This record gives sequence, structure tokens and C-alpha cells, in this order.
Amino acid sequence: MRRVLAFIIAALYLTPASAQLNISVTTFDAGVPEDYSLHRDLQVFPKIRQIESMFLPFVLRQSLVDSGEWGAVRVVPESDDKAEILVTGTITHSDGETLGIELRAIDSRGQEWVNTSYTTSSSYEDLFAGFIRDLQAVQDSLDQQTLRSIAGLSMMRYAAALAPEAFGDYFEASADGTYRLLRLPADSDPMMARIRRVRSVEYVMTDAIDQKFRELYEEVDSVYEIWRDYRRWYTNFKLGEAQRNEFAQIDAEPGSYEALKNLYDNYRMDRLAAQEQDKWAVGFDNEMEPVIRKMEVRIAEMNGWVEEGYVEWTRILGELFEIEGSLE
Amino acid sequence: MRPIRYLVTVNYRIIIPLAVCGLIAACSSPGPVIDTTSPSFVGDMPVDFSGSWERDYSRGEDVQGALNSLFRERQRQVQQQQQYPGNSRAGPQPGMSQREVNSLVALAKLVQDITKPDVLTISQDDFEVRVARDDDFAMSCSFYDGIARGTDSPYGTEVCNWAGNTLISHLVLPESLLITNRFTMSPDGNYLRVITTASSGASRTPFTLHRYYIRFEAPPRAFNCIETLSMKRVCSTGEIEP
Repeated sequence: MRRVLAFIIAALYLTPASAQLNISVTTFDAGVPEDYSLHRDLQVFPKIRQIESMFLPFVLRQSLVDSGEWGAVRVVPESDDKAEILVTGTITHSDGETLGIELRAIDSRGQEWVNTSYTTSSSYEDLFAGFIRDLQAVQDSLDQQTLRSIAGLSMMRYAAALAPEAFGDYFEASADGTYRLLRLPADSDPMMARIRRVRSVEYVMTDAIDQKFRELYEEVDSVYEIWRDYRRWYTNFKLGEAQRNEFAQIDAEPGSYEALKNLYDNYRMDRLAAQEQDKWAVGFDNEMEPVIRKMEVRIAEMNGWVEEGYVEWTRILGELFEIEGSLE
Repeated sequence: MRPIRYLVTVNYRIIIPLAVCGLIAACSSPGPVIDTTSPSFVGDMPVDFSGSWERDYSRGEDVQGALNSLFRERQRQVQQQQQYPGNSRAGPQPGMSQREVNSLVALAKLVQDITKPDVLTISQDDFEVRVARDDDFAMSCSFYDGIARGTDSPYGTEVCNWAGNTLISHLVLPESLLITNRFTMSPDGNYLRVITTASSGASRTPFTLHRYYIRFEAPPRAFNCIETLSMKRVCSTGEIEP
């Protein structure tokens, strides 16, 4: 509770967000089939996918920041549809050789900007570059007024979540899940000023969580590269084996020991390679599990503070709104 | 042997039966009958084979002995046929051509290679029985909701089923090469019998070998080790928590 109050007090000294649109990138859906029996056949390593779902959003975040076209870009553990732009993703394929992600971006109006599958066989920065180009193209197609209304609507939806009596009628929600900004409060509105400060405080927390994702990225990156190298090697090995077998001339008479042994050994080598890959996956899990566990605990703690803060902020703001209303 | 019967369902379940059928289609001899659509058990797996097993040399067969008894049986059949030639129409000729003898010996040599490991380390969970062997791949039998799920590769297919308390692993390889391992544990859980059978399109006669194993407690290791990617195997005398 002391921490929550400290954040509220800190809010008084914080400045509002910048004019460019802010982007929230949620941790990706790992895309792990619920049917366990499919994991092996689809070459899905659930724990590794989980790690990828947490650190690839950070790579996207970096790419968005580097593009210089956006305001604050944050990786957040949970989807927030009040964000100016919310990016969600689902990993559809990841085998070291090819990475496939379905990426979707919607704005605070509920309008979809991008919803496309991207794949790459080189670096994942390449994949995200394609997405950022698409995102940029949508932004370029919108006029300044629309962009401002997206930012304004995001703020009003946030305000209404905290103080519904005060801000619930500044926008309208349609049945199809879209929103329309009706008006904005005056710049001098004291209640709005408080909301901005509260949101800034929340951003401080979000930035702290984002920092955790950065730390995860730094810890995972080198090990993940080893895993990717191995997966590339494995994929090439399988291809090489397939080619070798396709063109191999087996002179042995069918049914002879040499012929039978060759058939058995082909299968044997294939399985040994697959089982070695499983061992590498376990190695990756073993190495990353403490990192992930530590990070999840920390994020849960911080989320807990934010949720606690929300309850407290909502109560305080509701009381202030009542007091101010009675003074008018 | 009964004819091949694969029951095919949608999605992935098509892949293995088709792959197996594809492999079998190339051959003339029948393959295993495995139903990959309905459970071969309900609830837990019928037997838990988990543990370390070492070869019991006091029981079971050696390859040469098994071959000799097979040839002796054939010889007996030939003699019987010579004595009672009227029975010859009832079935195939019991005599063996040199080519078939060679094929049978080839199968026997292959079975000898496959059954060479003296120690089997079996691990088992709700979904899989895994039989680890030195210098060979770990045999894997997967079941989801009791339904067999094969391991498919371009070089063959491994699929299992339960017949009562016996776990049967089938490895279906090209050119009709089929290797079957039947695992049966004694009621007291101390002995394991593994019957390995190899057959191929080149031989009318499959080769079968019985091996027995005794359960043993693997000695505690001096080090606890875990695999990692960046540091490879990491070992410690204390507990290692991943």
C-alpha cells in the first residue's frame, strides 16, 4: 500500500506523454497446440515457444523504437485495448530456420491497422521490418486529426475506466467493438489532469515491466542463438540425409544383411538426431527456466502493484469527483 | 497373420497410417494390425515398465541357437512331408531355398545387432514408454487417451499397441522390413521378457529371438548433472535445480 501511495504522489511530478502515438506490444501467443500429441510432430517445443513469446516482442519493440516514427513503445504482459495502438502476435512457426508470426495491430478506436502473417528465414528483425512498414503505411494514410483522436480516445477510455461517472460520456462504444470520440475535456480540467498523472504513474510501472523484458532478452539472446544455430544445423542435416538417401546407390541384394542393416541404420540415425534435438531443447529449458521463473515472479509483483493502485486510484478519483461536483 | 487394417481418422492421424500403409504397399508380406483410432487401454497404461533392466544370460536364447532350432523345425517338417506326401497340399513347402536361408540368416544377424545392448533403461509417463539402449535410438511408444500415436520419419514408422499386459512395438521400415518387440513383465515385476521378431519381404520365415532381463537398481551417481545449451552438461555433487 505504501508503494501505491508513493506512486500516486510521484504522479504529481510527472509530465504527460509525447505527441506521437504510443504502442503497446503484448507478449505473443506461443501458438502451442493444446493437443500434446501434436507437439512432437509439429516440432513444437512448448517451453521454448513460451520463451520466444516473451522475448520476441522485445525485438519488435526495439525495431519500432529504432524506426523513430512512434512514441513510447512498451512490452506489456497483458493485452490493453485502451492503448493508442495495441500489437498482438501469435507464433505460428519457429524451427530455427523459419520464423512465422501472425501480427495484428488495432488502435484505440477498435480499428484494425494490420492483421497479417509474416515469415522470415533470415533474421527476425527482417520479419518485424515488414510489419513496421505496413504499420507505417496505415499511419501515413491517416490525417493528423484522426491520429489525435486515436490518442484522445485512448486517454478518455482510460479515464472512463478510472472515473466512469466523470468521463463515461466522452465517447461512444458500438456493438461491433469500435469506439468513437465525441468530445474532449478542457485542457484545464483538474480531474483530467489527475487522470493524466495517474496514467503516467502507470507508465512508470509499465516501463519497469518493459525493463524486465529487456533483461530477459539480454539473458536469453545468446542462448537462443545457440538453439537457432542448432535447429538450422538439424534442418540442414535432415535435408542432407534425405538427399544422401535419395541418391545413395545400395548395391546390396534385397533381403541381404547389408540391405537390411542399411534400412535399419537410416531410421536409427534419423531417430538419434531427433532425440539429440530433444536433448538440446531440454538443455535450453534447463538454462532458461530460472530466468523465466524469476521474471514471471517480478512481473506478477509489479502487476499486483498496478492492480492495487487501480483500485485505490479509482476510489480516490471517485471521491474527488464527488467533492468537486458538490462545490460547483 | 491377419491382413493389414488401418483405421484412418482426420488430421494428423492420417499421416502415420498412410505412411505405414505406403511402406507396406511396397511389399508383399502383411504388416502389423494397429488400430490408431480407438484406445488400446483405458486410464493408466496397463503396466509400468519403468526402471533399469539388465540381460539375464541364464535365460533366453542366443541367435545361433534360435536359428538352429528354426532349421531343425524346418527339417522335421520336410521329413514329415516326405513320410506323408499327401499333406503337402495343405500349406507351403517347408523346404527352404538357399536364397531364403540367406535371407533368414540376414534377419537373424539384424536381430542380433538390435538386441545387443545388455541394459535397457525404461522411462514411462502418462503418454510415453521410452526404452533407452546403448548405441541405439530409444524406442518410443506414445499413447494419447490410450490411442497409439506413431513416430513417423522418412525412413520408417514406429507405432505401438498393448495386447493385455504386453506392450508391442512395431518398427515398419521400407522393403517390408518389420521389427516387432514384445515387452512382458513378470507378475512380481522383477523380470522382463522381450521377444524380438524381424521379417522381410525376402524371407517367408520371420526370425524371432527371446531375451530376458532382470530389474536392477542403477547405482546412485556421484554427480548430479543437467544439460544446458551454453555450458553443455553441468554436473555437481549437490542438488542441481534447473
